[in-house]
Amino acid sequence: MARETNRHYKFDWITIILFFLIVGFGWLNILSASYTGGDIDYFTFSKSYGKQSIFILFTFCIIIVILGIEAKFYERFSSIIYIVSMLSLVGLFIFGKNVNGATSWYAIGSMTLQPSEFAKAATALAVAKQISDLNTNINSFKDQIQTFVIIIIPALLVLLQNDTGSTIVYGAFFFVLYREGLPKYYLSLGMSVIILSVLALKFGALTASIIASVIIFGYYYFNKKKVSFFQVILALLLSVGLSYGVKLFYDSILKPHQQDRISLWLRLEKDPVKLEEMKRTFAYNLNESEKAISSGGFTGKGFMEGTRTTGKFVPEQHTDYIFSTVGEEWGFLGSSFVVILFILLLLRILHLAESQKSQFSRVYGYGVASIIFIHFLINIGMVMGLIPTIGIPLPLFSYGGSGLWAFTILIFIFIKLDSNKINEW
Amino acid sequence: MAVNEKGILNRLYFIAGCMFVFGLAVLLKLFSIQYIQGDEYRALAEKRSVKYVTIPANRGNVYADDGSLLATSIPKYNIAIDAVTSKRKTFEEYIKPLCDSLSGYLSKSSSYYEKEIRKARLNKNQYYLLVKNITYTDYIRFRNFPLLKLGAISGGLIVEQTTKREFPMGSIARRTIGYEHIDKKGNVTRPGIDGAFGVKYLRGTDGLRKKQKIGNNKWKPLTDFNQVEPKDGFDVYTTIDVNIQDIAHHALWEQLDKYKADHGCVVVMETKTGEVKAISNLGRNSKGLYYERLNYAVGESHEPGSTFKLMALAAALEDKVIDTSDVVDTEKGRLTFYGKHVEDSNHRGYGKISVSEAFELSSNTGIVKAIHQAYKKKPSKFVDRLYDMNLDDSLDLSIIGEPNPIIPDPRIKNGRWSGIALPWMAFGYGVSFTPLQTLTFYNAVANGGEMVKPKFLKEVKEFDKVIKPYEKEVINKQICSKETIAKLRQLLRNVVDKKHGTGHKLYSKNFSMAGKTGTCQKDYRDKEKLNYISSFAGYFPADNPKYSCIVVIHEPDREIGYYGADVSGPVFKKIAQKIFIDTPLIDEINSLDVKVPAIEEEYETFYKTARTYKTIMPNVIGLPAMDALALLENMDVEVKVKLNGNGVITAQSVNKNEKLKNNQTVVLNAS
Repeated sequence: MARETNRHYKFDWITIILFFLIVGFGWLNILSASYTGGDIDYFTFSKSYGKQSIFILFTFCIIIVILGIEAKFYERFSSIIYIVSMLSLVGLFIFGKNVNGATSWYAIGSMTLQPSEFAKAATALAVAKQISDLNTNINSFKDQIQTFVIIIIPALLVLLQNDTGSTIVYGAFFFVLYREGLPKYYLSLGMSVIILSVLALKFGALTASIIASVIIFGYYYFNKKKVSFFQVILALLLSVGLSYGVKLFYDSILKPHQQDRISLWLRLEKDPVKLEEMKRTFAYNLNESEKAISSGGFTGKGFMEGTRTTGKFVPEQHTDYIFSTVGEEWGFLGSSFVVILFILLLLRILHLAESQKSQFSRVYGYGVASIIFIHFLINIGMVMGLIPTIGIPLPLFSYGGSGLWAFTILIFIFIKLDSNKINEW
Repeated sequence: MAVNEKGILNRLYFIAGCMFVFGLAVLLKLFSIQYIQGDEYRALAEKRSVKYVTIPANRGNVYADDGSLLATSIPKYNIAIDAVTSKRKTFEEYIKPLCDSLSGYLSKSSSYYEKEIRKARLNKNQYYLLVKNITYTDYIRFRNFPLLKLGAISGGLIVEQTTKREFPMGSIARRTIGYEHIDKKGNVTRPGIDGAFGVKYLRGTDGLRKKQKIGNNKWKPLTDFNQVEPKDGFDVYTTIDVNIQDIAHHALWEQLDKYKADHGCVVVMETKTGEVKAISNLGRNSKGLYYERLNYAVGESHEPGSTFKLMALAAALEDKVIDTSDVVDTEKGRLTFYGKHVEDSNHRGYGKISVSEAFELSSNTGIVKAIHQAYKKKPSKFVDRLYDMNLDDSLDLSIIGEPNPIIPDPRIKNGRWSGIALPWMAFGYGVSFTPLQTLTFYNAVANGGEMVKPKFLKEVKEFDKVIKPYEKEVINKQICSKETIAKLRQLLRNVVDKKHGTGHKLYSKNFSMAGKTGTCQKDYRDKEKLNYISSFAGYFPADNPKYSCIVVIHEPDREIGYYGADVSGPVFKKIAQKIFIDTPLIDEINSLDVKVPAIEEEYETFYKTARTYKTIMPNVIGLPAMDALALLENMDVEVKVKLNGNGVITAQSVNKNEKLKNNQTVVLNAS
């Protein structure tokens, strides 16, 4: 085959346009959130918005490089990329710089780089490679374990660096594995664990155990032929154990500030004094961001007009809480626009992934969508109080070079892979 | 492949569904925040971003009658530094000089401050407290320190002003001057003058200024003017005389301490005007120390005991049912009414004595018998007479906490009246007055029958403008006839002057006093707890009373003494004595030519000696050292004088009439 002459590169412009819409709108909001008065100097290292525009300019270089590299390179070198990335995470323990309690930064002069952001892309590549390997059977327990190990290594490393948010992101790969045929019971198991944990925390271990028993016996009653009595007893023991285990974990292993976050989310705290105290301290951000969002109304106060944004009421507003700026200044319309942009981007990537001919590309595509989705879910959920507070940026939208570049790399590798599908025969 | 086509589609839908459902949830929540809870959040946001900041008004001062300060508010400053705001270059340039300045003013070393401030800068600490509660002068000094001089934004200077109430006289009359105390729960205690006039005059009204939140706990004013201007409190001029107050306070203190008494009070009142010149209330704490605890003089009503005999006799004399010369039989010191006894303190009585003597001796049996005989048929007449003298009225003082007087009345069924009420009232039991109420009556007697209301305030001023003057208030122009008053005053005078008088211990030939002792049993219903209230009420000078005074001491140690004359009398005497010694005799010198013989004579002698002895040693023994020196140093020969000691010359080294030589040394001893 005359590959040189027949090569077709057809980039998916919809994804690229969505990408730039999100990045551009994000920059406007960063400008508003970090603007402190005076003339706007678009490219300056002294202001967050100025830095961000420099970061954005640099993404063009990254895009050109990524798209310039041969598509096969990513599959072939995925293992090496993964290993280098893991080493960079390990290196943090020795050379890392501590920012806000997390040791997840390399400092190069005045610049800082967060390798855990890039590790997500590397892991996505490695998982894709592993699953797409002809010798891998996702239904075999051995292969499942191998895949889990690939995912769990970076997750553990970032957890040790006190970056809980990033650890949770690795849970995104569950979606990928599920799509690729991970047995159903993992899903039921995962769901049951989450539901049971929430029940145990909210209503107490005993209530949770009783509810679980009723459901298990009910299931047994209607499906006597499928399940043995022994399995029922095992499930029962497990769920009761889990209910009490979760309670024990919450009470004695979680740190007080983590307990507080969960207790606020599940509204476990009944003492109004403690509640007020919470609102003033760690829930302050949430409280302020909800106020900012609500003050926006339907159409918002207008660009750079948000009093709560310019008044700097919401700490970390240009990073994790950027969505509150959107809420205040662009209102319901603007927020919906952002949500729709993300949903469109995600569905587009999923759609592209499904249309891939190579399993590697498909799995990778799923990885990209899942990682973006988890970020989006946690960030927006946190800003609006749907889930407990976990510090994580809104992809492409929040301030920060590492995050922006990592997501650029993540997405554009996929765009490159996708553009190459025509050559994948 | 393990998963069939349909299965894959389902799984795809599941994942896409998850994302879609979450997107929907976000939109719903958005809707909820912005519409359903919107108003609530918006109100909160408004509340958090604009607020009225109160600008506290300066509290007015409290002055004594001569204008000396009793209570004032002075501004105090806390100085802190925002270690982050200054630019790196400025910070580095000034940090060392700043720390040197700090170390010069405060106790710690320069390097200590440098370390601390650098640490604060590193930790992004925007509030590092340097010093607390400094005065305005010190604040000006701090403001001119390097770095801080650059102001709030470039230098990071943070200044907080607070106001502290200070009492230049210390604890003296603290309960009467008063203060405002707000405890942690927000309860306000406001005793004394501050309590009476604090809200009305002293406090002023706070101003308001609208401020908007501009950042992390930073607020900027929204307008150039204050929405409500603060109005400073007025100054209150009291009638307190700091000298008399000082005397009264210390005299009472000493006596309380001597008798290990529980508490006591003294009030000194100007007879003509009713102005309270001194009021001291001291109570003992658990450690045995005395301090101004409660305003006993105003707020503690108790059975007066013998001091009430004056009121009883005033009523009887006015009704002309008794005269001072009437003779009563004290019947071996014991009377019995319905099984209850009235006893004299000497337990044997005084035989047959006049009413006047009964008063002077403070014979319970004598007074009780006289009053009982006079009024037993119609006790209400006695009570009415007491009413006529306004004894049942409270003084309606501006200082809160004054209880109403208690006088049993046969016509009122409240359980106070009984068969023994009349005789018991005659010697001051069953009735109840505060020290100030008793003093008001004694003062009326001193004032020729005109009863004036005790007053604490002279005027309220705003700078030099009088806002409200406080005039003399007369309660009763004439409580009884001049004749009765004259008799009462004679009785009171006799108590001190007559040898048998209970107050004779107070007698001084230098100045005259009049008064009545009182030794009242307290908790007499329970012998175990039996205690005494020793009091002395009176006025001085006896002929032309200028001040009236009451001393009440509760629960003196019985082992040491408890009679009114012993416990309270000395306080009274000390105050009277001191007031007359400390008040300079102002003798107007009409003509400077008038010669005082003694001084003239002394001068003549000196002059004569000085003229006579030019070269011969004079006799200087007996001369004041100063005069001797002047004499010798002004002689025609130059002599060196060596003086040992001072005072009056007792010896001279060169004898009288000896010839003196130049540069001769004369030694003088003086003592």
